[in-house]
Amino acid sequence: MSEFLNMGGYAAYVWPSYGLTLGVIILNIVWARRLLAKSREDARRRLAMRGEET
Amino acid sequence: MAWTWFHRLGSPPYIYGLAARLTPWFAWLSAALLIGGLYGGLVLAPPDYQQGDDFRIMYVHVPTAWMSLMVYTTMAVAAAVGLIWRIKISHAVAASCAPIGASFTFVALVTGSLWGYRMWGTYWEWDPRLTSELILLFLYLGYMGLRSAMDDMQRADRASAVLAVVGVVNVPIIHYSVLWWNSLHQGPSVMQLAKPTMPPSMLIPLLVMLLGFTTLFAALLLVRLRAEILNRERTASWIREAVTQ
Repeated sequence: MSEFLNMGGYAAYVWPSYGLTLGVIILNIVWARRLLAKSREDARRRLAMRGEET
Repeated sequence: MAWTWFHRLGSPPYIYGLAARLTPWFAWLSAALLIGGLYGGLVLAPPDYQQGDDFRIMYVHVPTAWMSLMVYTTMAVAAAVGLIWRIKISHAVAASCAPIGASFTFVALVTGSLWGYRMWGTYWEWDPRLTSELILLFLYLGYMGLRSAMDDMQRADRASAVLAVVGVVNVPIIHYSVLWWNSLHQGPSVMQLAKPTMPPSMLIPLLVMLLGFTTLFAALLLVRLRAEILNRERTASWIREAVTQ
């Protein structure tokens, strides 16, 4: 296991590469979901406001 | 009759519903492919005879670099379709691509830098491949900046679409830079007509990762596209049903 983590002496380059990639994937998922949730919320609010006017 | 499918592709409620239904399929397919590709790349593939285990950066560098080009091409094609046929949904697709592409271009640059440090002895060099990829990041950021600077959605769509279409000349420049100029960066080893220059034990995990990232892009794009559609269709009556379900 420690041999695997050591990556033949390249651990300091291999693991940050994988870490950054994983981090950006997770960020992208969170961003996209948040954007959709916010857009849905905005649309709902717009509809509610128009509902009160009529 | 034959054209009804084409017209439906321009219909926001249809696309919104289709995107919602397709997203989980792409998302789970992507998760399975990425986990499989990671296992193949980190465990099953043997160390490279010259680069040792450092070559394993390839399994995140090549797919993110692929994303940077594929997402930009998607964005430019969508923008061109939006400009020529004035299809609103095309502009929504283009706008959804930019943040995804920018973030993966950044990852491609950083992982390339980490890989290059031990192989070339430097984190950065003003090399044709590296410089043109950096310009791609600026194109994405410029596109996003231009959009956010304009309040009027239609003007933002058209102006940013022109930028996206003009910037697409950079895509072949990046791809062929390693052949046209004397570059530090290695030549293509997957996308070439002759046999790939990698054994299957190294190549298959890479292809699985490429598919995993492509399906991830599809899932992310579909979620962002739904948000863009909701923001654009301010008065459409179908939205009530879409947001209250």
